[in-house]
Amino acid sequence: MQMQGDSVVVTANRQERKLSNVTVPVTIVNAKQLQQNGSLRLTDILKEQPGLTITSGFGAGVQMQGLNPDYTIILINGEPLVGRTAGVLDLNRIALGNIKKIEIVKGPSSSLYGSEAMAGVINIITDASTAIPIQASLRYGTYETIDAGVNNAIATKQAFYQGFYNYYSTNGYSIRPNSSSRVTTPIERLTVNQQLKYNLTANTNISLGVRITDEKIQNDISVSNGGTTITSNGKEHNTDQNFNATLNHRFSNNLKTSFRSYLTDYNSKQDLMTVSGTPYYDLLNHLFKRVENQTDWNVNKQLNILFGAGAAWEGVKSTRYDSEKVRKNNAIQYGFTQMEWMPNNKFILIGGLRFDKNETYASAFSPKVSTLYKINAKNKIKFSVGQGFKAPDFRQMYLDFTNAAAGGYSVFGTAQAQQVINQLASLGQIGSLYDNFYQLKVLKPEYSTGMHFSWDYEPSQNTYLSVQLFRNDISNLIQVQQVGSYISGAQIFSYLNIGRAFTQGVEVEVKQKIAKHIILSGGYQYLETGDKDQIAQIKAGHVYTRDANGYSKLLSLNDYVGLPNNSKHKAQLKINYYNSIGCFANFRMLYRGKWAVNNTNGNEVYDIGDDFAKGYISLHASVGKDWANGFSLQLGCDNITNYIDAGNLPNLSGRTFFGTIKYQISKK
Amino acid sequence: MKKSFQSIALLSIVLMSVVACSKSSTTTVLPVTALLVKDIPADTVVGLSAQGVPITNGKYTFYSLEKNALVSNTDSASTKWDIAFMSTRILTNGGTSGVGQGGAFVYTGLFDDLKTIPTDSVFKTDNAPTAYAITTGSGKGWYTYDQLTSLITPLAGRVLVIRTASGKYAKMEITCYYKGGVTLPASATDMEKLTKQRYYTFRFAYQPNGTKTF
Repeated sequence: MQMQGDSVVVTANRQERKLSNVTVPVTIVNAKQLQQNGSLRLTDILKEQPGLTITSGFGAGVQMQGLNPDYTIILINGEPLVGRTAGVLDLNRIALGNIKKIEIVKGPSSSLYGSEAMAGVINIITDASTAIPIQASLRYGTYETIDAGVNNAIATKQAFYQGFYNYYSTNGYSIRPNSSSRVTTPIERLTVNQQLKYNLTANTNISLGVRITDEKIQNDISVSNGGTTITSNGKEHNTDQNFNATLNHRFSNNLKTSFRSYLTDYNSKQDLMTVSGTPYYDLLNHLFKRVENQTDWNVNKQLNILFGAGAAWEGVKSTRYDSEKVRKNNAIQYGFTQMEWMPNNKFILIGGLRFDKNETYASAFSPKVSTLYKINAKNKIKFSVGQGFKAPDFRQMYLDFTNAAAGGYSVFGTAQAQQVINQLASLGQIGSLYDNFYQLKVLKPEYSTGMHFSWDYEPSQNTYLSVQLFRNDISNLIQVQQVGSYISGAQIFSYLNIGRAFTQGVEVEVKQKIAKHIILSGGYQYLETGDKDQIAQIKAGHVYTRDANGYSKLLSLNDYVGLPNNSKHKAQLKINYYNSIGCFANFRMLYRGKWAVNNTNGNEVYDIGDDFAKGYISLHASVGKDWANGFSLQLGCDNITNYIDAGNLPNLSGRTFFGTIKYQISKK
Repeated sequence: MKKSFQSIALLSIVLMSVVACSKSSTTTVLPVTALLVKDIPADTVVGLSAQGVPITNGKYTFYSLEKNALVSNTDSASTKWDIAFMSTRILTNGGTSGVGQGGAFVYTGLFDDLKTIPTDSVFKTDNAPTAYAITTGSGKGWYTYDQLTSLITPLAGRVLVIRTASGKYAKMEITCYYKGGVTLPASATDMEKLTKQRYYTFRFAYQPNGTKTF
């Protein structure tokens, strides 16, 4: 058994490539790992990967190499998921039942994927090849959590069909006893996935796919005010629908093309009704349509060229914009190309670029160069440098939100901020306007330049070591800024391209076979982040903090901690056992070091005197057996030590036990 | 309410006579003692209405820096007080707020480093309801308000330079807005955040000799 295996990667190059020939950092999580870990949702598995952190707030998002969830694109079979709240795509939406593998590409990948692929790409690949005629599984666990799934597949010479059905529900849990407010709210989720592939000729096939996720969340909130308890009944209903149709044609062994069309519609509706009858209602609808062509041309053994072009239409409706009835639209046209040059079997050089033209914000140009050099059979090094971007999102352009509950502050998107505020001013409602109000203009995308260097070392079949260094420099960051205030003093905010930041660090991964059936694997990440403008201010002696008595003092750069929600240290340690008669067991230990959560000492920067969430270790284990007749049984426990930090880790439920029974008819 | 208010000279940072340079060699410079004042209530929340709206008395708390003592509300129209507090708003005894010569400005820097009020400093006076000598609003005067946590934090590195009712000078640094002198954690309940707010802890140094040095 080789530690890394040499599986095929599709995300790194937008083409099938052996992992050993991929020039950028890629992690592959295969179905076996998902099953043995007992992972149900995408969050479950991502939190165990080196360099990734699950964030909370507006759902569970993924932070990659210190960059917020906004900057990682999430794909299913290469097509993007939409429907982000405050930039976060809730990864709990994604059921893992029919997943073949998950590919994680780190570093800016906008040269292939456009906006959002600034920190990296996570591509979820559903099982479209292994034809298991039928597979059913049922899992039951703590908090009345049920997960039931069925897969079925039919394969003939010409056609391949796969269906997947998943039902998930949990009663949620509450950290405070007898409280009706739950940290994890009762959820019911249904996922249906249908895929059909049909070979028209030996060289042409079409595939059709539909994936629908429907979730209902019950969120009852009780607020006690001086003895009076106000209870609100909250209901959230989210629907995510994806449809795709693809035509693939092979002209020859060296030339193939594919036409892809995709439509996705995300709909989220929240209703909150208090006992006094005050309804609160929030709606978000995000529609995304795309057509794309990609052609792959193998010029000769040394040279491979890929080019593509596409057009996308995107629109969002929200109660938080000026009118929920009017859809805000954007149209994007783009083209991309990539050239792969392999002069010999030791060296690969890839250059790619993409141009995105947008209707509602500035265009973006994303180049990338990456290279791989196999020093010898045991050592290889990779280097890549590329530019990534993230388009301003609809919220940053069109938000029109006034929070009556919290002092009446308002946030206006840049597309209309000046117009709306000027109108308010003419009505005499504006108290003051700041200089930056006059600087409001069409937002530019946020840009990053990312550099990666990695060294992979495989001295034997039993050992694998990888060391990666990375640095991302981000400019044009879109930040919320106060641009003025009302007569009442309530603040008015809008968005400006002002921030500059960086993240840099080291990732180390080790895998070692320590006994016949036992593999030990570990990962460690060291991360540094910072806001460049804040650092300049600190260096200039303009930033103060407080000492133990609460008295002000100058902040020294050593006490600056960088961006919030980032842990300097993260580590994972896993032991996996798997034997020839299908028994498996694993034990996983995840560590996350402390991270800054709130600015409490009276400056605008995060320093060692601020509020930190405590570092913690969570332990997870599972055991199971796969029988030759198709049955398998698994028992597991997550968060064994019952570590809870409701304020900072609402996604980490207390200790949970689960049992899963699965049956599959395998194709002989 | 009265009980919770304590005024203690916790520490006596004696500012050595660093200011006794050639210029002022003829005057006797008294060392100015910095005093710490804890938990001055500033129109605290006394209850909640049936709808959950916080109830306060809507009254200022008056304070004399000269005497280091509270001043009765009945003396609001006198020069007995130098500063007054109501929630995040701080008045000085002058302009539209009082009959004295009071004024103020917010100095950016450290309390200990401010040894002499710069000669080009401009003292502002209160001009209610739009402009106060100590600017109101998050991030503009002496504090920031965090929308997410609903907490008020005094800005670090801000010194309120006060001209008292009788035209003398004082400097003060607010260290906390919550009872007990410690800002509540973000995880505190809404009720705690409501009832424990509006208690000022600050240190100040008052120069009785009328000079601008401390």
